[in-house]
Amino acid sequence: MRIGIVCPYSWDIPGGVSAHVNDLAQALIRMGHYVSVLAPAEFDELLPDFVVSTGKPRAVKYNGSTARLSFGPLVARKVSKWIEEGEFDVLHVHEPLSPSLSVLACWAANGPIVATWHSAMDRSRMMLTLSKLGQTAMEKVSARIAVSEAARATLIKHVGGDAVVIPNGVDVSSFTKATPMFGWPGQNMSIVFLGRGDEPRKGLEILVDAYTQIRKIFPNVRLLIAGPGEPADTLEKLSKVDRSSVTVLGMIAPQDKPSVLASGTIYVAPNTGGESFGIVLLEAMASGTPVVASDLEAFKRVLDFGRAGITFENENSDDLAKVVCQLLGDEAKRTELIVQARLRAAEFDWNVVANEIVNVYESVRVPGVKVEPDLTGQFMGRLARGRITPEPRGEL
Amino acid sequence: MSSQNIFILVFVAFCIWYLSNQAGRLDRLHHRIDVAELALHGQLLRRGGIVAELAAVPGIDPALSALWGQAAHEVLILSEVASPARTQVEDELSEILVMTLGDQDEVNEIRSIALAASLLDELAQVSTRIQMSHQFHTDAVRDCLEIREQFLVRFCHLAGFAKPPVRFALADEFPEFLFN
Repeated sequence: MRIGIVCPYSWDIPGGVSAHVNDLAQALIRMGHYVSVLAPAEFDELLPDFVVSTGKPRAVKYNGSTARLSFGPLVARKVSKWIEEGEFDVLHVHEPLSPSLSVLACWAANGPIVATWHSAMDRSRMMLTLSKLGQTAMEKVSARIAVSEAARATLIKHVGGDAVVIPNGVDVSSFTKATPMFGWPGQNMSIVFLGRGDEPRKGLEILVDAYTQIRKIFPNVRLLIAGPGEPADTLEKLSKVDRSSVTVLGMIAPQDKPSVLASGTIYVAPNTGGESFGIVLLEAMASGTPVVASDLEAFKRVLDFGRAGITFENENSDDLAKVVCQLLGDEAKRTELIVQARLRAAEFDWNVVANEIVNVYESVRVPGVKVEPDLTGQFMGRLARGRITPEPRGEL
Repeated sequence: MSSQNIFILVFVAFCIWYLSNQAGRLDRLHHRIDVAELALHGQLLRRGGIVAELAAVPGIDPALSALWGQAAHEVLILSEVASPARTQVEDELSEILVMTLGDQDEVNEIRSIALAASLLDELAQVSTRIQMSHQFHTDAVRDCLEIREQFLVRFCHLAGFAKPPVRFALADEFPEFLFN
């Protein structure tokens, strides 16, 4: 199958959506499909050969953070050209409501279009305005995918209609062969935290509060903190001795993530909210590190309601301390969790997930019908356009 | 030109733009329905083909073979795409599949026949695709009807000669034991 994928966010800066598109494209190529990805990118020479750049993106404030997006008539021409030359069977756009390449691609194309929603926003007015703006684009989308139940709920509430839920994938193989960092977890046990240290909803503060209590029962336990953002303010609460048992790594490269996750006896995700899926939980699970996470709906789902990991009461550091201490003292339980977690993580392997996405492609495409440029935006095009009449054909 | 004339001109231009825009939307939606219908049709025929093949696998219980063969034949000889006749034969096939593959032990037994195992996997896959295809077709019909029912659209006859789209009332019932 020839598949065109549109990533609205800059390829230069690592982010959830571009990582998703990259992994998906590679999984599809492994399956033998032809894939071309259209994305804004500044540095052409660094791109993998399946990515086509639309040039340098502009910084736009969107959904609470700065997104680098491409927009404008010049970009629109590039999009049309890419669609015309690609002869795709299916066009797959990501995050189609952001004012971006994805909307441009929907406007410029006609034929089987699949759209994936990533974010679970709860900003009704913004969504409403955007959905009115993008209405003509949305009406062309034949199939909708949401990456989580939360994203699906946002879609139903603000845009209407329904979507198939297909979760994010994890590249399980790169995590299963992870080796811990040198000297970790070592003779003593350790706890790993991954995420922004200075963002309250990531919950480092709750972990730090619990850590004091854990150290009272397991005095040799260590804490490993990785991720951007300076956690110093939060760590000030700890006593001197406790503080000296904490290692702060700062921002880590994506290729180091498996070994950081494998360096813990336990991985703790104390996030207080705003998580729509919890991919990092799956990564820890694939690395063979038992997971303790707050009892957010999304996390409970990923942990298969307790079978593949343990949850504690959200924002309750006493409960977190209790759960972690129980697990640190019970090696049999940890071994059992590791086995269950590995099985669970395998269900989210990219090969499995990509297969489900191909099912969606197949359910909208018709052999012989290609995605073609839509000329209705141009006056002459509207007059000239004839309707394509595909041959109905069953594959027997 | 007086300001009143300019106002009228702008108003007329807006009306023309609006109506043309609505007509464009309708056209796109009808097109989407056409493609969705063909995609669904393709998957349904593929299922018919798989069941026919399954019926012909040596070693299958002759009673099953006859049931499957007959139901698949009905599906494959029908030329209409979305029609009550199509719905009927497809529902009959679904019903037969649910009935004959409705038990884990039975499915396992059929799976033990060499040629049948891969066909059952394909049947599971195509069933998923049919379910999704059907869902997407229904979505497209709903979006289209929403606009067609607007007063201005009906009054100005913007839908042209395109027939009003109909939901394809398939019973989405599939044997659940296939999916393990």
